[in-house]
Amino acid sequence: MSTRTPQPNGAVARSLAQVGACGLFLLTLLAAIPRSFRHGRETIRQVWFVGAMSLTIIMVCGLFVGMVLMLQLYHVLSIFGGTSASGMVVALSVYRELGPVVTALLFAGRAGTSITAEIGLMRATDQIDAMEMMAVDPVAYVATPRFLAGLIAMPLLCCVFSAMAVFGGHLVGVTWLGIDNGTFWSNMTAVVDVHTDIVNGILLKSLAFGAVVSLIAVFQGFTTPPTSEGVAYATTRTVVASSIAILALDFVLTAFLM
Amino acid sequence: MTQSDRSPPDDSSLVKVRGLTTVLNGKTIFDALDLDIPRGKVTAIMGPSGTGKTTLLKHITGQMRADAGSIHVNGENVAQLSRERLFKLREGIGYLFQNSALLTDFDVFENVAFPLRQHTKLPEELIRNLVLMKLQAVGLRGAARLMPDELSGGMARRVALARAIVFDPMLILYDEPFVGLDPVALNQVLKLIRTLNQTLGITSVLVAHELAAVQQVADHVFLIANGKVVAQGDPRAIANDGSPWTRQFFGGGADGPVPFQYPAGDYAEALGFKGAGA
Amino acid sequence: MSQQRSSYAVGAGLFIVLGFAALAYLATQTSSVANARQGDSYVVDTQFTNIGQLKERAPVKIAGVRVGQVQSITLTPGHDVADVKLSIDRHYDHIPQDSVATVFTSGLLGDQYVGIQYGSAKDVLADGGTLARTKSSQPLEEMLGKFFGAGGVVDNVGGSYTVKAGFTNVGTLSAGAPVKMAGVVIGSVQSVVADPVKLNAEVVLSIDKRFDAIPDDSAAAVFTSGLIGSQYVAIQPGGSPDVLKDGDEMILTQSAMQLEDLIGKFLVSGSDKKDAGDGK
Repeated sequence: MSTRTPQPNGAVARSLAQVGACGLFLLTLLAAIPRSFRHGRETIRQVWFVGAMSLTIIMVCGLFVGMVLMLQLYHVLSIFGGTSASGMVVALSVYRELGPVVTALLFAGRAGTSITAEIGLMRATDQIDAMEMMAVDPVAYVATPRFLAGLIAMPLLCCVFSAMAVFGGHLVGVTWLGIDNGTFWSNMTAVVDVHTDIVNGILLKSLAFGAVVSLIAVFQGFTTPPTSEGVAYATTRTVVASSIAILALDFVLTAFLM
Repeated sequence: MTQSDRSPPDDSSLVKVRGLTTVLNGKTIFDALDLDIPRGKVTAIMGPSGTGKTTLLKHITGQMRADAGSIHVNGENVAQLSRERLFKLREGIGYLFQNSALLTDFDVFENVAFPLRQHTKLPEELIRNLVLMKLQAVGLRGAARLMPDELSGGMARRVALARAIVFDPMLILYDEPFVGLDPVALNQVLKLIRTLNQTLGITSVLVAHELAAVQQVADHVFLIANGKVVAQGDPRAIANDGSPWTRQFFGGGADGPVPFQYPAGDYAEALGFKGAGA
Repeated sequence: MSQQRSSYAVGAGLFIVLGFAALAYLATQTSSVANARQGDSYVVDTQFTNIGQLKERAPVKIAGVRVGQVQSITLTPGHDVADVKLSIDRHYDHIPQDSVATVFTSGLLGDQYVGIQYGSAKDVLADGGTLARTKSSQPLEEMLGKFFGAGGVVDNVGGSYTVKAGFTNVGTLSAGAPVKMAGVVIGSVQSVVADPVKLNAEVVLSIDKRFDAIPDDSAAAVFTSGLIGSQYVAIQPGGSPDVLKDGDEMILTQSAMQLEDLIGKFLVSGSDKKDAGDGK
């Protein structure tokens, strides 16, 4: 936001500077959380825009992921006669990896870009300045509600995605490919553990991803030059940076949790 | 400087700028600028594009910090205020942005009510009445339910003005209020500026280019160029005060102290004629 | 203005409810928590010496028709049979008390289920009753062993507490593989080391201290889960009054079957000739 500090040269140095600035921005965001409770209505509004409006894409993609996964698994497992395990494999792979990661990527593309663009445009049309003039802290009013909304929405979206994926897998496996319904569920429930897979996998991972994507989206919105091309670049950077961060964080979390 | 309420101090300047120096990106915006905004009057600040008139407004509100010098608003040094004191100060200043800066997610009523909802716990009834009164003052009470993108430029500016006066501020800063307005809308805005100043005694600072409009409404005008005040006085008399700046700026010369040619090297050399003279 | 706000709030609230409903669905229907549920059914106890690959929630069938599911599988320390509780739909409440419960396999490689074959007694099973007659699952090696007449060469050998056992061939058994009794895991393989003196593989088994009533003439066999699954050590209880203690060695062991041996035996016994060349 300040054009007075000297900018580093070189792409690597600039990327590092961005990462550092992003981290510092996180501290600003967290510090503004108590102030943002005054704007609780705004947070609820953002949960609607960020979460509920993403439901369509999440549900449709979840359904297709589950269906495709079951198709692929069936053909491979039938070589070993192990198709009865396909339900279990679909559930495990979705809960542990595909659910959180794909949901986060879709979230970055749909909600992350809209957050960045919205904030960037607010800066370009002086709305942020106007808020400062009206003695309303723009971080507490604009940034933190969107960040919190992302934190709330991501795990919920991930649960919906996973449920749709299991449903899609069931649809293809049991209804179309003829796997026994009882076997499908019994193998799955025998192996899926609430603590390791659902809590660690879906909830913890998606919470972490939600934090990262929301942070990056809000940061990009607040720090890009407030011009139309600045906003365009910012939305692209949101998606790119979010994707890299999601997959890197996924690796780290998997190593720690599983 | 420990006054914390808005009772008038015993001098007649609401805003005192002393020795203001600011350097941005290597460019000197202000060079030991001195300025006094008289209380209760309409003051215009004019100058060539890019002299930092908007930047000056931002210094007054504390959005930007100077490298040297000081700005006192109502007796308080803006740069030394704590965050809460600064916010309190801003509640007493209304700012009209060039592009209105209405919040796009809310309708006109909500936009005007925004400061009230944020800073007061007034009951809904009272807020409603206050908002409608301010809208009535700017002539847009019937447009209360429109969304910002349904408003024309002039209407949006008037809504922004209603929002700026919702706390009955002591100072209003107008950033290019006449830009892009048709004559009718321009006259409406002029009327409002005059009315607010005459009936409520609100000190008004105008940053504008349009001399004709400024002459109709301003009591005092400052001409700022090269980071300094190069001329000041009554707007109706200033065009004749004899300095080269006013002659170019108000007399309409394309070339003068503000040069036509952007600084460049030798012309003959650029065209390839070496050794040619001036 | 407040209509706008309340519609957002309602929408956001609906979204949150949907998310939690999905979470609840996932947790209760697709995870192991689901196995704790019961429909309108009654519970019958059975015991098996070997449950094979039977899992909780596996179907219980009569004449091939699903009538319930396996509710729980436990091994009481000190016992050498697995207690299996079956949850049977109340519709099917005329199961004679002398019926037989068997662990069957669906097809050659499919999952295992419990099949109930009607007996002829007049008294029927009630909630909490016990099916006394059971037939356990047959590990692959025993079946093949019976077929080919190649019995187990029972090798010599005798906390968790650790117990040693030596095998002439451990197949693909490795450290960490489960140790099972009656099909239920009671410990794990701690190490597999080649013994240069005895020229066999010395396997150290780490057995949970709860199971401290294993007779010291029990046999340890290397079995395979299914046809191509991983290998594990199964303990078949003997009848000695003395029990295995920490550091003992199990005398009776049965090595892993090698695929080549099986095929070779099949070819040899099928053609009745000792000439390997004729087996083609």
